Amino acid sequence: MLKVIQILLVEDDNLDVIDVGRTLDKMAILYKMEVARNGEEAVRILSEKTAAGSELPDFIILDINMPKMNGFEFLDALRSRDEWKDLKVFVLTTSGEKEDRLAAKGLGVAGYIVKPLKLNNPVSNDAFNLMIDLMNMRG
Amino acid sequence: METDHIRTRRFEPLPETGSDLCQLHVGHPFIRDHLPNLMDWRNLNNMKISYTILAGFFSILLLFVTTTFINYRQSERINENSEALTRSSTILKHSNRFQRNVLNMVSGLRGYLLTNEPFFIQAYDSAMHENDDILHELSELIPDSSAQGSMLAEISALNTHWSTEFGKPLIEARRSAGGSDSSMAAFNKLYRAKMVTGIEKNINRSLQNKFREFSNYEYASREAQRAGLTASIRNTRRISFFLTVLSIIAGIGIAIFLANYISSGVVKMVHMAESISQGHYKVSMRATGKDELSSLARALNNMAGVLAENISLLKRKNDELDQFAYIVAHDLKAPLRGIDNVVTWIEEDHTTELSPKVTEYLGLIKGRIKRAENLLNGILSYSRVGRELQQRETVDVNQLIEEVRESLPPHSGIQLEVQTVLPVLQTEKLPLLQVFTNLITNAYKYHDKPQGYVKVYFKHLGPTYEFYVEDNGPGIAQEYHRKIFTIFQTLEERDSFESTGVGLAIVKKILDDRKLSIRVQSEPGQGATFIFTWRANE
Repeated sequence: MLKVIQILLVEDDNLDVIDVGRTLDKMAILYKMEVARNGEEAVRILSEKTAAGSELPDFIILDINMPKMNGFEFLDALRSRDEWKDLKVFVLTTSGEKEDRLAAKGLGVAGYIVKPLKLNNPVSNDAFNLMIDLMNMRG
Repeated sequence: METDHIRTRRFEPLPETGSDLCQLHVGHPFIRDHLPNLMDWRNLNNMKISYTILAGFFSILLLFVTTTFINYRQSERINENSEALTRSSTILKHSNRFQRNVLNMVSGLRGYLLTNEPFFIQAYDSAMHENDDILHELSELIPDSSAQGSMLAEISALNTHWSTEFGKPLIEARRSAGGSDSSMAAFNKLYRAKMVTGIEKNINRSLQNKFREFSNYEYASREAQRAGLTASIRNTRRISFFLTVLSIIAGIGIAIFLANYISSGVVKMVHMAESISQGHYKVSMRATGKDELSSLARALNNMAGVLAENISLLKRKNDELDQFAYIVAHDLKAPLRGIDNVVTWIEEDHTTELSPKVTEYLGLIKGRIKRAENLLNGILSYSRVGRELQQRETVDVNQLIEEVRESLPPHSGIQLEVQTVLPVLQTEKLPLLQVFTNLITNAYKYHDKPQGYVKVYFKHLGPTYEFYVEDNGPGIAQEYHRKIFTIFQTLEERDSFESTGVGLAIVKKILDDRKLSIRVQSEPGQGATFIFTWRANE
C-alpha cells in the first residue's frame, strides 16, 4: 500500500515548478502538489488548511528568492505557529550557492534540493529518499 | 616591516583615516623628540631660502668688508706714523745740527775776535747760514700754532738777537780795529761790554736750553705716537681676528643650516614620493613655512591628495565594476539554465516528435548555451580575482606544478617538462597556482602538434623570480601579443567551447594587482614563451 504524499511547492519560477514535477514523476513518486507563488501565498494556503482542519502537506519545497515574502521570511512564519513547527521543509537552492544552504542551516530544514534537478545529486537524493520512505510508509 | 616603520615615521596622517593610511600619532616618539625642533625651524623658515642664502652671503660679505676696511685704516695709520717718524728724525737732526752750529758760531766768533784770523770768520759764517736754513726748514715742518712752533719762534728770535746784538757788531768792530788804535780801543770797549759781562753767554745758554727743550718735546711726542701705534696695531689685530672668526662661524652656521634644512626637506619629499609610488596615496607632510621647500611640500601634498582621491575613486569604480560583472554574470546564469532545462526536456520527452532538422537546431542551441555559460563563468572567475583575501604561506613551486599536472587533460603526445628544482616561496598560493594552471593549460589546449612539449623553468633576478612557460605549439603573431591578455580575446573560432578568452586575462589581472608583469615571446610556428615575474619573498 503506497501513500500519496502531499507537497506544497513555494516557487515563483514556472520553469522550476515544471522541473520539480518532472523529476518527481521520473522518480515515480506518488504525490499531490499545490503551488504557492511566494511565501505570503503559502502562508495563506496553510492558514486556510489549518482553519478548515484539513490535512497539512507532508513536505514543503521552498525556493529562497521570491517576491513579497522570501524563503527565509516564510521559514520564520512557519516556526512562529505551533501547528506548523514540525512541517518538513526542503530548500531549493542553486548548485554552488553555499551561502543559501548555510543560512538555512539552523532554521531546522529537513534538507536541500539542488536546482536544476538531477536524478543522482547526492544532496537532493536525501530529500527524495525521505519522500520515497514516506510514500512506502516506512519510518 | 623595517622600511614600513621608517616610512610611517615621516608623515602625519590626513584627517580622514583609511586602512592604507600611514599612522603617526602626536605621542609618537619621533614627533615628541623632533617637534620643538621643527617648530623653531618653522619660525626661521618663513623667509624664502633664496633670501636666506642672499642674506647669509651679504652678512658674511659685510663682515669681510669691515675687516678689510679696518685693516686698510690701520695701514694708513702706519704710513702716517712712518711719515711722522721721518719728519721727527729730520727735526731732531736739524735741532742737533743747530746746536752744534751755535757752538761753532760761538767758538768761531771768539777765535776771530782773539786772533783776527779770517778762517774763524768763515766757520762762523757758514754755521750762521746753515742755521738760517735750518730755522727756515723747521718752520716749514712745524706748524706755528703748536707749542713747538712758539718754541721755535723764541729760538729764532734769540738767534737773531744774538747775531745782531753781539755777533755782527763785534765782527764789524774787530775788522775795522786793524786800522787804528782808536778803533782798536773801540773794539776792546765793545768786546768788554758785550762779552766780558756774560750777557752774550747767557743768551747763548738760553738758546741751547730752548733747543734741548725743543728736542725733548719732539722725543716725547714721538714716544707717544709709537705707543698709540702699537696699541692700534694690537687693536686692529684683535678686531680683524674676531671679525674673521665671526664670518667663518656665520658662514659655516648658515651653510649647515641651509644644507640641513634643504636636505631634510628633500629627504622627506623623497620618502613621500616613494610612499606614493608604493601605493600609499594618503600621505602628507608638514608644510607651514613660506619658503620654497614648503611651497613644494604643499604642492606635493596637494598632488598626493588629488592622487589619493582619484585612486580611491578609481578603486571604488573598479570594485563596483567587478561587483557589477559578478551580479550580471550570476543573474544571467539562471535564465540560461532555464533555457537549457527546457531544451533538455524537449529532447528527453519529445524525441520521437522531432524532425532531424529540429534536433540539429536544438543541438546548436545547447552549444550556444554551453558557450554562454562558459563566458559567464569566465566573467565570474575574472571578477572574483582579488576579491578573496589570500594568506601567505610556504609554497613549494615544484609541488604546485605537480598539482597543475594532475589537472591537465590526458593529452598523450605533449610532455610537461619541469626544471629539476624550482624555488620554495613565502607567498600566496592560490593566485600563483591559478597563473601556472592557466598558462600551462593554455599551452596544452592550443597545442597543434601530435608530439610536443611544455617547459617550465625560472630565473632568479634579485628580489623577483622570472618564471617561464614555454611550448612548441602554434605560436602567436606579434600583433596579438598584447591583445591576448584582454578579456574574451581568443584566437580560436567563436564556437569553440573551450576557448573563452578569460584565462590570460585572469593571469594578467592577478599579476597587475600585485604590480608584477607578464610578457610573451613568440613567432607564428615557433612556439610561445610566457614570462612572468613573482616576488621571491613577501
